[in-house]
Amino acid sequence: MNIMTAPDSGIAISWIALPFFVGFVIYLLPQLNRYLALSIPLVSAVYGLQLIFNPSQLTLNLLDSFGVTLVVDQLSGYFILTNALVTAAVILYCWGSDKTAFFYTQIIILHGSVNAAFVCADFISLYVALEVIGIAAFLLIAYPRSNRSIWVGLRYMFVSNTAMLFYLVGAVLVYQANRSFAFAGLANAPKPAIALIFLGLLTKGGIFISGLWLPLTHSESETPVSAMLSGVVIKTGVYPLVRCALILDDIDPIVRMFGVGTAILGVFSAIFEKDTKRMLALSTISQLGWILAAPAVAGFYALAHGLAKSALFLMAGVLPSRKFQELQEKPINTKLWLALVIASLSMSGFPLLYGFSAKTLTIKNLLPWQTMIMNIGAVGTAVVFAKFIYLPHHNQNQQQQPANLPPNFWLALIPLLAGLILANLLYYQAYTVANITKALLTIGLGWLTYDLIIFNRVFTLPRVLEQFEHLIGMMSLMLLLLLGMVLA
Amino acid sequence: MSTGVIAYYVLMASRDGLFTPIIVDNIDNRAYADPVPQAVILTAIVIGFSIQALMLVCVVKLARDNPTLESNEIEKNNTP
Repeated sequence: MNIMTAPDSGIAISWIALPFFVGFVIYLLPQLNRYLALSIPLVSAVYGLQLIFNPSQLTLNLLDSFGVTLVVDQLSGYFILTNALVTAAVILYCWGSDKTAFFYTQIIILHGSVNAAFVCADFISLYVALEVIGIAAFLLIAYPRSNRSIWVGLRYMFVSNTAMLFYLVGAVLVYQANRSFAFAGLANAPKPAIALIFLGLLTKGGIFISGLWLPLTHSESETPVSAMLSGVVIKTGVYPLVRCALILDDIDPIVRMFGVGTAILGVFSAIFEKDTKRMLALSTISQLGWILAAPAVAGFYALAHGLAKSALFLMAGVLPSRKFQELQEKPINTKLWLALVIASLSMSGFPLLYGFSAKTLTIKNLLPWQTMIMNIGAVGTAVVFAKFIYLPHHNQNQQQQPANLPPNFWLALIPLLAGLILANLLYYQAYTVANITKALLTIGLGWLTYDLIIFNRVFTLPRVLEQFEHLIGMMSLMLLLLLGMVLA
Repeated sequence: MSTGVIAYYVLMASRDGLFTPIIVDNIDNRAYADPVPQAVILTAIVIGFSIQALMLVCVVKLARDNPTLESNEIEKNNTP
């Protein structure tokens, strides 16, 4: 056994184990549920921040070379911080609601397994983490126990379980070639192994056409659950892809290609969407593409997307309607509108917000062939979020506040929106005249397109591909595509 | 499908030999089976089983309103 610097590895392991322990304690002590639940993301936030500001790589190799391998570094730091902030916001959002201890237990177990997925460096621990995430997410989706939620959950579980079986076959091929399950072994593994593992991860991460299960799942779950799913859970499939792309040069172009394809596919379906939550879910697909497009800075972008998207989902949950058409006729509260605008502007990459630095950094790290396409993607994102910014709003008196605002709504939004503004300082080098002009031009172009072309268009894309049977069929097509890509 | 994957793992483990990997004092270097894939697939079996149990519960619940359990019908009723 390799023994690392003792205190560091001790902290890392107890930090991974803590959420699971506390999760079960919550179930035993239901009175303390919210307080215990809130303490976990705080611990993770501290740990994540420490990783970001104190970049050092910690590699843990437990139990010989067959055992669990963990890698903790700056990249995982960003993902962990995203997870912590989103979970904290979701718990605060649910604070005054009548959710039972079971709900908080699941949230914390989900948080813990997502954390575990963000530090894994071997295929089997990742498999276990992803399956635990799948089960916890399923239980959260099915929490309302209505027929629809059960169906949506069942569909999610079926798709992810099938994908993970492909992944397992890939994992054993890697083992056969290396006598170890570590990520680095992918280099010596037979080519089909890469295709199988990638199919599993792409499906789990909601990328490209294998990710078309995502819009329905994310839009039909309850508000806090969809914020959590879209903000962090989906990134557990993306993180290992990024990690592999950073370790192996052969895989890097494949990951980048999928990034670009996903960004374009997601953004175009989002433009034509008439439903707020579905639009957010589709834009999640496109943003995952942005994360993959530049693996080296993936963590930075993931944080930006996680914060803004979960804030948007929480806000979309309290809007009076889910249809944009009806929202055009019902003015919303100005305070709510301002918060919506902050998050939307960050998504579109407006200067002074975190989205701007994230986009600039990503574009800087793109390869030449990607740049043009991704710029189109950026304009598309601006078009998509113009829908929120163009919503009518008015100043109301206090007593006319919409009654459905949860008591801790603003408290939940503060960490997310503050994060968007503060994290901006992490990459202040982005603020050059050229970058700012470019961002403003992109957004202006996006808004102009929206105003002139899209605003009153009634056109919906067919949803045939999102049907359950096609999802599974599409998986086999993706496998063929992937095989073609790795063998080429 | 799950069973197929499990069988594949067992096959992988037995490529180099079929003996149980327990060291017996006077015999060395027998063709032992590889214990690692077996250990790993044990985890996967447990997870797969728990997921199937969970899905079964849901299917039973759904069957109350859709006795035929046609996935097309359930989907039509439950998508916006």
